[in-house]
Amino acid sequence: MGYSRVHASVREYDVFARKARVEPLRQVGSVVAPDDDLAMAYARATYDEERWVEMMIVPRDAVIRLWGPGESET
Amino acid sequence: MRYAEWCIAAPSLEADIAAAAMGLDDIGHSRVLYGSLRELGTPDGSDDGGYGNVPYLDRPWTDWTEFVAANAVLDSAFSIVIEALANGNVEVLRSRLRKMLQEERYHYLHGRSWMHEAKADAAIERAWRESLEWIGPEQADVDQLNAEGKLAYGVRDLRRMLEERVGGKSPQLAIEWKAWDPVRRRTAPGGIDPATLEMLQGLAEKRYMPTSG
Repeated sequence: MGYSRVHASVREYDVFARKARVEPLRQVGSVVAPDDDLAMAYARATYDEERWVEMMIVPRDAVIRLWGPGESET
Repeated sequence: MRYAEWCIAAPSLEADIAAAAMGLDDIGHSRVLYGSLRELGTPDGSDDGGYGNVPYLDRPWTDWTEFVAANAVLDSAFSIVIEALANGNVEVLRSRLRKMLQEERYHYLHGRSWMHEAKADAAIERAWRESLEWIGPEQADVDQLNAEGKLAYGVRDLRRMLEERVGGKSPQLAIEWKAWDPVRRRTAPGGIDPATLEMLQGLAEKRYMPTSG
């Protein structure tokens, strides 16, 4: 029916979750979606391999990186 | 089942995975409902192997917009009625249906977001019609259960809640209540296509099982 397989504009979101309250949140993956609602639905559907006690998503463009592997701290 | 048919055919990989996950959620929901709705004290349907499904599920969907409309409108109608049961006065339903509502929240987010993107007007109108038929007419069984407190909301409340959830007024639809089947909650005759029925009843599976041993 001529429906485009891709969205006009999308954001990347990193997905964080933890299995127990005593654990820190860890990054479990990422999703690509046109808005926050769909990103939430995708994150929950894609990363459902554990019974997470907490899950959250962060738009990747909201993350400020200080330095990465192999880069100098100063 | 109809969700599952799209788990390799949706417009993006994420939507494929969501279709599979939502299909599995809904199978789980059906099993819980099947085991607990008797608590309402309404008579059992006849056990003739027929299904009381909405006509929307009779045939496989041939277009993604049909998936989106089912996901946004029909699935929301089901969720709202589950909410009415979870907030009603039947204790077993109050406790058992909560988790279902949490899961359904993500179905709704998925459906609503796709609805804004996919030009699904025709499919949405059809989904609205069948949702209203499924909820049923005023002053019938749903309003009776509401009067008894078993359902927290009546037909008018449910229609308004569906409008709020889907975001927008219900299209003006003339429903032929005279043709409405109060057991199957639909006006159109027909039923699930034979191939899907075979799968649902496990017949297709049996065909591939070894005959001996």
